[in-house]
Amino acid sequence: MSIQLKELLTGLTSARAAGNPQSVLDLIPYSSFIGAQARLEQDGVLYWLDRRPSNIGNPSLPAIHGGVIGGFLELSAAIEILYTLDVNLVPKVVDFSLDYLRPGRYKTIYANCTVLRQGNKLVNVTATAWQDDIQTPIATARCHFLIS
Amino acid sequence: MNLKLAIFKPMLKLAMERTGHGAALGFELTRVGRGEVEMSFPYKEEVVGNPVTGVVHGGVIVSLLDTCCGCAAISVLKRPSVTPTMDLRLDYMHPAEPGQPIYVSAKVYRDTSNVIFCRGSAWQDDPENPIAHCVATFMRVDTPSISLGNVIRRRFKRLIHGDKAYEREADK
Repeated sequence: MSIQLKELLTGLTSARAAGNPQSVLDLIPYSSFIGAQARLEQDGVLYWLDRRPSNIGNPSLPAIHGGVIGGFLELSAAIEILYTLDVNLVPKVVDFSLDYLRPGRYKTIYANCTVLRQGNKLVNVTATAWQDDIQTPIATARCHFLIS
Repeated sequence: MNLKLAIFKPMLKLAMERTGHGAALGFELTRVGRGEVEMSFPYKEEVVGNPVTGVVHGGVIVSLLDTCCGCAAISVLKRPSVTPTMDLRLDYMHPAEPGQPIYVSAKVYRDTSNVIFCRGSAWQDDPENPIAHCVATFMRVDTPSISLGNVIRRRFKRLIHGDKAYEREADK
């Protein structure tokens, strides 16, 4: 299952060249476990998570598990770094802060990310998740990653 | 253990271990007390976040701590209901050792009329050397649509009829 760093870097280079962020996601087992997908849009990478029974948290609402929303946003933020920045290792997450704004209903979740600051060591990324309308987000996250 | 916890623990175990994301990840609720909950997660290759080192993805730790803190929050309610997460903040101290189970514990440290404050930590071999630490806040809600009866009915329905019935309900 594990791959060599060289393979990962080759995969990243070809994903950027082909404009295909999905192939970066495919390198990470957790992304297929929750079912995360990505494609390049005009204004950046769009991430989405189709509904599946194994992502349900509270069946009484019904709602997507809060941890899945968090995991999806953390994953999206890491992919954003791997895909858009010139890094040569998997970014190490240092902290993660998540605000839940609305319940994640049992349907597709979309997300986009913004790299707010990139230093030599540290990157700050925000990620926003929504369902029907980008103007009514269901969660926002902010995370720091070490990239050296 | 008082009567409320005696009923509450198996219900919570059923919900967290047998349905949805908790079941997919293989969560186990190991201790339920009033305002204090402990859980464990066996290592799974499917949830690796770093394919080079085999370290599990941070999202698993988020799910574990969110679930554990959420259960601790529910456990302090006088009347059974649900407690949506308001926010969750995690610090990752060091990467989890691949192949080893992860243990988490959560504790309610302040319980007010509207908000329940929790903290939790995740570790592998030594609780004093955690892999992650978190603080989380939960809302108290009290509406009939998400009452205990509804929660139990829906969960049983799903256990009996499987995911199909559940998806139909979600589409309504």
